[in-house]
Amino acid sequence: MEAECGGIFKNTGSIGFRQGMVYRMSILKTENITKLYPGTKALDQINVEFESGKVHAFIGKNGSGKSTLVKIFAGAIQPTEGSFYLDGEKIMLHSPQDAMERGISTVYQELSLVPGLTVAENILMGRLPMKGKLIDWKAAYQTAGKLLGEYHVELTGKEMVADLSLWQCQMVEIVKAMSTNPKVIMLDEPTSSLARNEIELLFEMIRELKKRDVIIIYISHKLQELWQIADTCTVLRDGKFIGKTVMQETSRQDLVKMMFGEVEVKTRPEDLETGDKVMLRVEGLTRKGCFSDVSFEVHEKEILGIAGMLGAGRTELLRSIFGADAYDSGKIWFEGEEIRNPNPVRMKGKGFALTPEDRKNEGLIQMMSVYNNLCVASIQALAKHKFIQRKKERDFVSRQIEELQIKVPDEELPVSSLSGGNQQKVVVGNWLNTNPKIMFFDEPSRGIDVNAKQQIFQVIWDQSRKGISSIMVSSELEELLEVCHRILIMHEGKIIKEVFPEDVSVDELYALCMG
Amino acid sequence: MSKGKLNRIFHTHMMELILLVICIVIAFLAPGFFTVPNILGILRSAAFKGVIAFGMTMVIICGEIDLSISSTVAVSGIIAALVAGKLDGAGIMPLSVGIVPGMLVAILVSGLLGFFTGFIRTKFNIPTFIITLAMMNVVYGAAALLSKGFPLTNLPSWYNVFGAGNVLGIPVPAIILLVVFAVIHIIMSYTTFGRSVYAAGGNPEAARLSGVNVTRVKILVMVAVQVMAALGGIMCSSQVMSAAHNFGKGWEMDVIASVIIGGASLNGGIGKVKGTFIGIIFLGVLLNGMTLMNVNEYAQYIVRGGLILGAVLINTIQVTNRTNK
Repeated sequence: MEAECGGIFKNTGSIGFRQGMVYRMSILKTENITKLYPGTKALDQINVEFESGKVHAFIGKNGSGKSTLVKIFAGAIQPTEGSFYLDGEKIMLHSPQDAMERGISTVYQELSLVPGLTVAENILMGRLPMKGKLIDWKAAYQTAGKLLGEYHVELTGKEMVADLSLWQCQMVEIVKAMSTNPKVIMLDEPTSSLARNEIELLFEMIRELKKRDVIIIYISHKLQELWQIADTCTVLRDGKFIGKTVMQETSRQDLVKMMFGEVEVKTRPEDLETGDKVMLRVEGLTRKGCFSDVSFEVHEKEILGIAGMLGAGRTELLRSIFGADAYDSGKIWFEGEEIRNPNPVRMKGKGFALTPEDRKNEGLIQMMSVYNNLCVASIQALAKHKFIQRKKERDFVSRQIEELQIKVPDEELPVSSLSGGNQQKVVVGNWLNTNPKIMFFDEPSRGIDVNAKQQIFQVIWDQSRKGISSIMVSSELEELLEVCHRILIMHEGKIIKEVFPEDVSVDELYALCMG
Repeated sequence: MSKGKLNRIFHTHMMELILLVICIVIAFLAPGFFTVPNILGILRSAAFKGVIAFGMTMVIICGEIDLSISSTVAVSGIIAALVAGKLDGAGIMPLSVGIVPGMLVAILVSGLLGFFTGFIRTKFNIPTFIITLAMMNVVYGAAALLSKGFPLTNLPSWYNVFGAGNVLGIPVPAIILLVVFAVIHIIMSYTTFGRSVYAAGGNPEAARLSGVNVTRVKILVMVAVQVMAALGGIMCSSQVMSAAHNFGKGWEMDVIASVIIGGASLNGGIGKVKGTFIGIIFLGVLLNGMTLMNVNEYAQYIVRGGLILGAVLINTIQVTNRTNK
């Protein structure tokens, strides 16, 4: 009985320090870790060191190699070269399970709690205390309650996870991760979907963690909060280790510079211009909890960028204008005509197009062929008396494959067999076939290679030359500077500023986005 | 190259090949199998569930299901007979004419049932599995109440043509089956609506964001299968010249089985009307062959069940291969 209960504290070495009796510092150290992917070096000879009792911020922009290193620590992938050590012991991981057994816990952004079970069941999953063949519920709630109490989480083990709010789930997840007494705990963007007061509660809990002999790695892109919570900050860029600084001695500008380096911002082609005619006008658009009082105009031929951090409400704004989600108040005009109750069918009819951020789940019908995926949005245009004109369809498909240079061995293959870049081109091609008047590109360059990226930009420019307006949302600020005529900055659901790419640098733009 | 091609033919036409093998085996074991009357007989008996299976193909490709068709089969025959009887009784028109509005009312009511299911599905986002499970009971009960639990036999003699008639020696149900097949095949392969059904079933959110009216598509397929079920019910009651509330019991299983054997995926987005045709013939041949060979009735159930499982296994493996390629 006792042995079974004790399973939670099986790492007996740390019990002493749990009670604050022993202080022993542990160190996580990498040695020349390199990770190669076909065509890219995700990590290049990384040497970093994290010691226990501190919160180590770990940052880098998309593609910096930050997530690759985190995945290596979590056992999800193996390094191509190099290795890492925990307290001088070389760690070889083959699976996430391995990592947990070696004392490395990860709390992912997408929480992994089971909503239909209680807090206690979630925390003690797979190791519930038993009484013979049956679960010893009394002991389970007691143990869970004790663990929750240690971190001052005001919940009981009996509560259903489904009834908890997101920040409470986040805390339960941390308690769960800590209950195995790990030596390393990695927190992946823990505040990304929390409100300000909730973040403060979470930080209190993280400060509590610091009192234990655990290495806390804090992954975040919200720079402003790092000064509140982190002790050190480690920066990666383009797969290389850039530096590790002490938070208190670092300014925000220093960090931005470390993250971005000297970025060469390419400028858009000279011949692109904007017309005078207002195509789209949005006034006071509000969707509670997503964005509020958003007003702007898009001109003919104009490419408008919307910059902002994750969760600033950019995607939601585009989706609401397109009619994919409802909004609460505000007005939308297109070509001088007010549009009421937009929905995707109506908006498509008016000449709107949207390439969604989540290409895989919202942009494409995975099991359907490339051929058919290129003609989903344009299906009505292809038909004569409801019957599809085969020849026209054929032309539509060939045109996009040719113009967008979609590399596809056989257009009858399911679209899932294509690379990310080519899939994105199919999404764009699907919409170009509708001959839109205004296109919304939501993170068009996400997860695609440099070449494909440039081709997509080329498409956006070509559309502008043909008189079509675009709105582009991207987390890659240098891309917005490269592609757009004008950039709106969105912060916590509001448009706070308008800038022109000629007037700002990447780090200025970044600083603006963080508010 | 030729080996790869052969492989591909083998993979894409697996069911046809298996059907062929089964036909040959049965032909050897049961001498009466390969005769014109027997083959026409197979078509006739397969037709009743077959017409519904084509409607079900649209529903399943659209990512939905309809379990309530069995009850619709019963209620549609009863409605046709009741309306005809009432019109006759009220002296408005004789039975032989009144059966026509009777059948139209039956089809209309079934269509409304489908609309109701589709509406609940799209408005409240409740799985059609649950809605139609409920509807199966509701409609069955309504059928029994309407008929007061007894078979209605007050039908004009010409009504017999739908289930038992022949035109140029070909059974009318078989002709109806082929016409329905042709119509639904054309809808699914050559029209915008057909393409929308595939899109809405393959990925409803992506389809919606591409400006496909997913709500409309889902409601329409639910209407279509119910109308087909009414047609099946009329054919069924016409064959035996009576309408009773226990008609169609258990049909949903054979109908769904034909569609699945035909290669449609219950996850939606995948399936072919032609495949369902093969599935219908497959089941028909198998049942006929087993009867000819005097296989025990209960043993037939085991074979049927095993067949459905086998077909789903083959399809799943094929789909997995396709998507992993």
